[in-house]
Amino acid sequence: MLISPTALIVFGLVLFPAIFSIWISFHDVTLRNLNDVFHAPFVGWDNYRHVVNDFAFKYQNLRVWGAAVTSIVYSFVSTAVTVFVGLIAALLLNRPFRGRGMARAIFLFPYIAPIVSVAFVWRWILDPRPSGVLNDLLMRLGTIDAPRAYLATRGLALLLVIIFTAWRYFPFAMLMILARLQGIDKTMYEAASVDGANAWDKFRNITMPELRYVLGAVFLLRLIWTFNKFDDIFLLTGGGFGTNVLPVLTYQFSFRAFNFGKGAANAMILLVILGTFMLVYARTVMRERG
Amino acid sequence: MTPDYSSSSSEAKRLNLIDRLARSITLPRFVFALILTFFLTSILFPFYWMVSSSFKTYAEIGSREAVYVPSALRWDAYKELFDPNMRHFWNFGANILNSIKIAIPTAIVAVIMSTLGAYAIARLRFRGKNLLLNGILLVYLFPGVLLIIPLFAMIARIGARLGFGVQDNLPILIVTYLAQTLPVALYMLANYFRTIPAEIEQAGLIDGCSRSGVIWRITLPLSIPALVSVSIYTFMIAWNEFLYALVFLNSSEMFTMPIKISMIFNDPTPRPHVVMAASTVMTIPVVILFLALERFLTEGLTAGGVKE
Repeated sequence: MLISPTALIVFGLVLFPAIFSIWISFHDVTLRNLNDVFHAPFVGWDNYRHVVNDFAFKYQNLRVWGAAVTSIVYSFVSTAVTVFVGLIAALLLNRPFRGRGMARAIFLFPYIAPIVSVAFVWRWILDPRPSGVLNDLLMRLGTIDAPRAYLATRGLALLLVIIFTAWRYFPFAMLMILARLQGIDKTMYEAASVDGANAWDKFRNITMPELRYVLGAVFLLRLIWTFNKFDDIFLLTGGGFGTNVLPVLTYQFSFRAFNFGKGAANAMILLVILGTFMLVYARTVMRERG
Repeated sequence: MTPDYSSSSSEAKRLNLIDRLARSITLPRFVFALILTFFLTSILFPFYWMVSSSFKTYAEIGSREAVYVPSALRWDAYKELFDPNMRHFWNFGANILNSIKIAIPTAIVAVIMSTLGAYAIARLRFRGKNLLLNGILLVYLFPGVLLIIPLFAMIARIGARLGFGVQDNLPILIVTYLAQTLPVALYMLANYFRTIPAEIEQAGLIDGCSRSGVIWRITLPLSIPALVSVSIYTFMIAWNEFLYALVFLNSSEMFTMPIKISMIFNDPTPRPHVVMAASTVMTIPVVILFLALERFLTEGLTAGGVKE
């Protein structure tokens, strides 16, 4: 009785749509028949074929990766960088110093600020006009002669999107790691000091093994969310210049071309890639840890 | 560490201080300070840039060089947002109101529904509990773009039958936000309820309280920190949400702030100072809420593994 409204929403707005989305991916659903979606014609694997053969999806060559490969590279690299930066931040904040509480609050700003605000500030900093901060700094230093359009340069754009992702999401990794760091038994470090271990020895032999599990969990969570993330790339580059990823492509198929069937098929492919990866992760990494 | 001038041997003490200071700057400390400074600047600079740019004039924004400190606090950008007499008037007030109209109901309904649901998950046994819990976990996995297509089609179908539009319909948007926030809220609250000893509630039941009386008089007052953090989280999710609002809202007077800001950004004559002013307006409430309730929120974050 208590649970019924919540259950209704979870089933009606999450589980049912999820199954319905599989159905859509096998039917020809466009704007025309959206109001009469249950009579949409069945088209078999056509939507999937169209997605896989789409120029935006398919890997072309080393310069033009296509959304599938870009998604995988973007998610893995940015998650690795995010967790690494989060680890450094957590180690910083684990040392006592004056103003630590304030520093911790500031470190969380990128994570809690609205994505639209921070994405547009970054775009304004990277602005192609000479009044953009990066252009201005590099021109003053004499590194470049003329302003550049950083987010409109293949390769560089992907790198910047990765840096942005790390900047925005490292606080989450930091908080999780910090919580674990503070749970480590202090006597272990004292014992190690007595045995003559230096800081690096202690880090390698005490801190890292203790953090192993939390690092794995944070990596997995962030990887899933990054793989599914739409806003960041859509707002920074709109998916252009070699940064198109599967969620943005799904949006483009569905709400730019209004081919909902193709969009759903693309989203299912995204889910299958994610599921496969998680299975592999559970089989190898998790088992290793027992 | 202020030197003590009243002392007779102040000179010696001052020397001693400099000596101590010099000795205290060891290599690890220097590296530590360096990394900390790097973090703080790279985090704070974009926020400084956002606020300072919002006070610049159009000339300062478009000049040949970046202007790091605006010449004066110019309210030009804010006037464009709020003053109907300006040539470029964005009517941003309406968008703020839309965001409030969506974020507050989402937070209130999500807290009420998830309190009931989380209590049932934490304390009661019922059929379909595992299915529900797995359903909640699935939400963590499912990309928003995957759910938005069937949701859009479903609601269009229901709307055609019952005679309401899918687009520019704020209550519909609230319902989709509930779908996104409820699982997270349920998870956080259920975790919290489990930490409250069941014995306290049993004592209440023995003393003749009904189950609802126990929830109302015992469980909820003990859970205020968790309830606060859940309501702030759901509020922030609804306040910041971009994709669903982009798909479900069509006309600029119905836009929530994120969509309106993106519209100003894409204006043919670039107006970064107005974009930054609108972003500042949108960010300030979130930062204030966060700073005021930081302790609750960080605890909630690590406890729930909250999805953004």
